[in-house]
Amino acid sequence: MLWLCIRLPALVREAHAASEREALERLAAWAYQWSSLVSYRPGAETADAAGAATGAAEPAPPLLWLELGASRALFGEPAALLARIKRELTRLGYSHACAIAPSPTAAALLTRIEEKRCVQERCVLTRGELRTRLAALPLTWLELPAETLEALRSAGLASIGEVLALPTAALARRFGPQSCQYLARLTAAASDPRPAFRLSESYRARYEFEHELREATGLLFPLQRLLQEFQGYLRARDCAVQRFTLELEHPARTVAVTAPAAAAATAVMIGLSTPARSAAHFLLLARERLQSIALAAPVRALTLRADTFTAPSIMQSDLFGGAAQPLGELSQLLDRLRARLGSESVQGFQCLADHRPERAYRLVAPQTQAAQTAAATPAPSAARPMAARPAALLPQPQRIEAPSTLLHGPERIESGWWDGAGVVRDYYVARAADGVQQWVFHDLTDDAWYLQGLWV
Amino acid sequence: MTVSAPAIAASIAELRARLTLLERAGNAGSSGAPGRRRDCGAGGNDEACALPSGHIALDASLPAGGWPLGALTELLGDATGIGELQLLIPALAQLAHAGRGIVWVAPPYLPYAPALAQRGLLPERLLIIRTTRPQESLWAIEQALRCPAMGAVLGWTAHIVDRSLRRLQLAAEAGGTLGILHRPAAAADEPSPAALRLRLRAAADGLALEVRKARGGRAGARLHLPRSSLARSSLEGRDAVVVHTSAGAGA
Repeated sequence: MLWLCIRLPALVREAHAASEREALERLAAWAYQWSSLVSYRPGAETADAAGAATGAAEPAPPLLWLELGASRALFGEPAALLARIKRELTRLGYSHACAIAPSPTAAALLTRIEEKRCVQERCVLTRGELRTRLAALPLTWLELPAETLEALRSAGLASIGEVLALPTAALARRFGPQSCQYLARLTAAASDPRPAFRLSESYRARYEFEHELREATGLLFPLQRLLQEFQGYLRARDCAVQRFTLELEHPARTVAVTAPAAAAATAVMIGLSTPARSAAHFLLLARERLQSIALAAPVRALTLRADTFTAPSIMQSDLFGGAAQPLGELSQLLDRLRARLGSESVQGFQCLADHRPERAYRLVAPQTQAAQTAAATPAPSAARPMAARPAALLPQPQRIEAPSTLLHGPERIESGWWDGAGVVRDYYVARAADGVQQWVFHDLTDDAWYLQGLWV
Repeated sequence: MTVSAPAIAASIAELRARLTLLERAGNAGSSGAPGRRRDCGAGGNDEACALPSGHIALDASLPAGGWPLGALTELLGDATGIGELQLLIPALAQLAHAGRGIVWVAPPYLPYAPALAQRGLLPERLLIIRTTRPQESLWAIEQALRCPAMGAVLGWTAHIVDRSLRRLQLAAEAGGTLGILHRPAAAADEPSPAALRLRLRAAADGLALEVRKARGGRAGARLHLPRSSLARSSLEGRDAVVVHTSAGAGA
């Protein structure tokens, strides 16, 4: 087994989370994309005895571990993955120190090596190498009770190497079996089990602002960060979303005396035409939506929430590129248009088999091509030849004077008596004075003339 | 059997136009693989790329031999219903058959799907976008032009500043799309970055066209397309080729 440990000295502040646990869970979900075994340990304030009693001067920061041995074939050289994870952490805005070692305890210890030293010193792959690497490190870095460290120091020991050289039996007699077990875990001589973090079934990440935000555009930067982490979670679960919600939390307006009033929230639902997991695409859509809403009240916190996930079948296409690409392009275009203009502003057409012109088509939600082939609409016009129709229709037939110049016609349409919207009409092609060709009909039920279409 | 004189004159004019197109294709040295328009847009300035309009006479008077792909075309005119869409239908049907979408952004009429289906525009390829403000229309046109899944984008604008036109032209180049912008006749005198500008007027039984600007060619050509030819012209039965010519070859 090979462990990568991330030390996060300023986690809670940088995550803008309400608690350390929340921040750790969020980052653990993100880290899950590289390892199926992720574990974390909270910082000193809430840590158990082992962490609290160290001889270190500063409080122990929270730690996050990823087991790399199992995913080595997937992600290549551990040093390369280390560099990649460091890069992404920097992008997300977390200050961090990382190290790799054959045991989680040793990896945590190696994160204390100064950042400016060579990365090789913090990346130890074998047990033999680990022993030599540890030997030179100061004794005080060991996570042993303060009095044990003091006793070792007064005995004239200074480095971890000197402690490891001592006979185990003597150590156990003098300092208790816990100290020996700790040293065995450190050198990877004994097994070092860690509680495995389990990915939750639904996603929720909350970001608290230092100051209340009054402009929706101010949400974009934190949102970008949340979406990056969300993308990591989706990769970790190997799934995609078609819908997620942004909750803008407003501070409670009235200060209730009896009970703290539940803060009001604005929920912004963001839907996609095809499942996706690209943070960049999500951000684009969210930006369009956020720009169009006016904030009712200042925003105190932003929560990203997703409950339903789908298999990533379609978005796999971006791996293969080529033929599958336009489909992705189309659905991304539809998503952008709907996000900004509203979903009812973008429509497609479907032809129906009806003789009444206004009932021979239907406006439908646009489909991506995959859906089209599944539900291909039969073209009634292809099966049954009909007289020429104008390319533009008026929303409602418009009453007009009897036209002076009729070019073609009549074409009798008598239909629909069965559904209560029956028509008896004689259709003509007419020419108006300005040269515009019109499609008009003479309604035989009320003996009036109507304009219904234009030969645009 | 007698043939009327105007009919003979019309056939001669058409034959002459065909000849011009053939000569031009020969000069360019590439008859073009059918349906290929990979390098349209994306900065391919040295090689114009066009889609046959389905109207022989019009193709002959356009430098690229058809509608410029990956570029903006302006249709200048004030009336709706003089055949401005009929003019485009053969090209739009061609794009729809190639699997690309046809988008109407805030049209002044409702495109009638059964009629368009009659002319080969598959209903499932059509998209209509409604907007409430001109700014939204411009944005939607630009987004659609940029999308390679789209074949043609038809937009209507009353007032548009030069900078916006440039943005649209760049978006069309990026997406390799046919951008059709309907503008009022008064805009004909303003300069424009569009690759092609046509002034449209209703004429006796047809549509009168005037080429106000054609990138890589000469402006000034005047044409008359009768209603009857507008209504039946299509690219069916002809080689559906995209003619590639180097800019200026037609000048």
